[in-house]
Amino acid sequence: MVEKILKKDDIGKLYSELEKEYKFYAPTKVKGNIAFKHILNAEEIELDYLNSKVPPKDVLFPQKETIFEYRYEGKEVIIEERKDLDDKLLIFGVRPCDAYSFKLLEDFFASGDFQDDIFLKKRENATIIGIGCNSPRQSCFCTSVGGHPFQKESTDVFLSDLGDTYLVEAISEKGKELVKKLSWLADAKKADMEKSKELAKLAEDSFTTKFNFDLVTKVLDENFEHPVWQEISESCIGCSSCTFLCPTCTCFDVIDENDEYNNRGRRIRIWDTCQSCLYTLETSGHNPRPAKIQRCRNRIMHKFSYYPSNYDCLGCVGCGRCITACPVNNELRLIIDKILEIQEKSGEKVSA
Amino acid sequence: MTEPIVETKQSENKEWEPKIIAFLCNWCSYAGADLAGVSRIQYPPNIRIVRVPCSGRINAYFIIKSLTDGWDGVLISGCHPGDCHYISGNLVARRRFAILKELLEFFGIEPGRVNFMWASAAEGERFAVLVRKATEIVKKLGPNTKFEKKW
Amino acid sequence: MGLETVNKDIETNLREIARGLLKDKKVDVIIGYKKGTLPLLSQPIIIDSEEEVDKLIWNNLCYVNLAKYLVPRVPRFVDSEKGNLKVGVVSKGCVGRALIHLASENKINLDEITIIGIPCNGVINRQRIEMEIGEKEILEVSVSGDNIIVKGKDFEKEFPFDEYMNDLCKGCKIRKPPLVSKAPDLCVGECEEYSNIVDDFSDIAEFEALTPEEKWNQITEELSVCTRCYACREACPMCYCNLCFVDQNKPVWFGKTTDLPDVFVYHLIRAMHMAGRCVACGACSLVCPMGIDLNKINRKLEKIVKERFDFTSGLDPDVLPPMVDFKMDDAQEFMLEED
Repeated sequence: MVEKILKKDDIGKLYSELEKEYKFYAPTKVKGNIAFKHILNAEEIELDYLNSKVPPKDVLFPQKETIFEYRYEGKEVIIEERKDLDDKLLIFGVRPCDAYSFKLLEDFFASGDFQDDIFLKKRENATIIGIGCNSPRQSCFCTSVGGHPFQKESTDVFLSDLGDTYLVEAISEKGKELVKKLSWLADAKKADMEKSKELAKLAEDSFTTKFNFDLVTKVLDENFEHPVWQEISESCIGCSSCTFLCPTCTCFDVIDENDEYNNRGRRIRIWDTCQSCLYTLETSGHNPRPAKIQRCRNRIMHKFSYYPSNYDCLGCVGCGRCITACPVNNELRLIIDKILEIQEKSGEKVSA
Repeated sequence: MTEPIVETKQSENKEWEPKIIAFLCNWCSYAGADLAGVSRIQYPPNIRIVRVPCSGRINAYFIIKSLTDGWDGVLISGCHPGDCHYISGNLVARRRFAILKELLEFFGIEPGRVNFMWASAAEGERFAVLVRKATEIVKKLGPNTKFEKKW
Repeated sequence: MGLETVNKDIETNLREIARGLLKDKKVDVIIGYKKGTLPLLSQPIIIDSEEEVDKLIWNNLCYVNLAKYLVPRVPRFVDSEKGNLKVGVVSKGCVGRALIHLASENKINLDEITIIGIPCNGVINRQRIEMEIGEKEILEVSVSGDNIIVKGKDFEKEFPFDEYMNDLCKGCKIRKPPLVSKAPDLCVGECEEYSNIVDDFSDIAEFEALTPEEKWNQITEELSVCTRCYACREACPMCYCNLCFVDQNKPVWFGKTTDLPDVFVYHLIRAMHMAGRCVACGACSLVCPMGIDLNKINRKLEKIVKERFDFTSGLDPDVLPPMVDFKMDDAQEFMLEED
């Protein structure tokens, strides 16, 4: 692991070199919000940001994605598969929580009998350059879910913001090769690495939100029908902002679009949400989750109970987007508090 | 034995003609269009007619879907107020048309793309005149490219 | 009188009235607003005892339209034995209008609710403030004089409330819930009788004067970030359809993707469905996670029904809304006529 220094003034140089080989995605301002978009001009890159509104999962798993297209030629139907899955992508400036979410997304799309080629191919061809959080928000809680504001494991290259420069650390093999290509980067000094460690400690100590999620999982597993869910789901209006902005939410709907007048069509997938009352509506008309309380409960159970059972890890990265996005302030921290209160109230009830 | 399909060659200097979808109420406007045809009154062939039982059947969805499907213009025609076969269908529709027209204009769709008219079963000439007028208005606006989906 | 004093007065009066209502058992539960955990948010709260009355607040961050919780009734408002409980709703003008309009659509029984009127002085446009602060965390929001003070770790900024109020609130003429003459016991607190509301809609005049091309460009630009999460639809008290038109699949009318034509059409048709029903509460814009501003569209809807049908939604539960009514002499200047 060779550490290098990237001057903030040289971001443009980095961009012009890398964009020749990669499709370069980075945070940029779009209508007042930060979003990860394909950058065409180095001036658009905004690295001085808290976090993006829509998580960078949007790059690998976009809101709307074509699965395949088809067209009629006479009586023949010709199906065209995606051709751009082998493009090399570079996602620059991803926060550690979002970088970790890519691992969770990979677990999901690779699990079971059918692998999702579209996502997995893109993920394989994507290089992630992460950046540490010098000042996490009050609503962030990555340290409670096994993360850290300077967590490097899920990235290929990791940047630490040292003021005028970034400390560049190559983490994975892919990352080492990339840094090697950027031979013009200066070597880092010991003082730079010390500063990075210092910033990491400061960031870690600044967290105000801390939870013991092992306990939360246990309480959730034992209290599916507890009346606390009534209280938790009371003010929820089912707007689904939480699921649309969550880096680990993966549900999608598949739609066929027909363009009869032009003899063509396509099959696409769009984000779906478990908070919609139609989400579990079956063709027969039966709906296993007809009421808001069930849908509200499902989201919490999925992240903190089903994910640990199925994938052996929490389904949450602690980014706090659901907390800041909820318009009725029915935020996760209050929900977790109410859930943990069950344990306190039951007192003698000990885990099996 | 099947006949070979004869391909007609399009003339090179054909200017663009708008495609207008026309929703005509069965009792008045459709009959009026029929009268225009039977009386051999010439009117532009740009309209493609869809017969509906009453102008009150017209849902905003029909109009908007026509625009998103790429139709250059939409024309809706019903019975004169007071003459509706179903008594008040066209009166209900008139309010809907008013709201839709104002909203479409507010959202930036050119006002001439969607047109409404009344034409009774005896007014073949009037039908032809108004269709001619509508076609001219839409022709001036050019093709409807706003709703093209780029794949 | 500064903003803080005004709000404090409203809050004190509100709590007094709430206490009285619960004590005299005029209502079983009250739904109002409570302080939020984040600086620019508030929470809805349901209370059923006098001890909890002090949790009720009024500040300019009370966005959610509480009428949403009545249609359909949240479980807390229904008792297994007594049936529908009597609910007291802390109502700004728009919340009161929403309740009365829903009554005119037969979705609420006015005998089962009490409107606790408060003289709303507007809500802050939180998305606008967040965008102007940019990528810095807001830690505290307070009021000084008529300004909103926003503080963070190493910044402090002042926003004049009159300017940073939600656009709909700026033009709002119905700040207190309307009194309903046939239901004199419906309203307590500050309510007002409205007749002949004068509104020149000058706030949208500038937009209306643009060419169709410019209007299209501006609206599509505003809608370009829509992610089709439908938060606007879920927050609106008037959107209570069991199957929304976008979700229909027999037949599929419009696309559900984020392609511009699909997004445009969704907002256009939803606006059409709101004609004569929208009470201009601004909840749709204030809950949007992407910060889309639908205020101009909502004002235009109000203008259309006022000028064509002399109708303002939510004033009288007995007046038929314009889209379910018709008159022989309705204006038809837009119809094509022979020259």
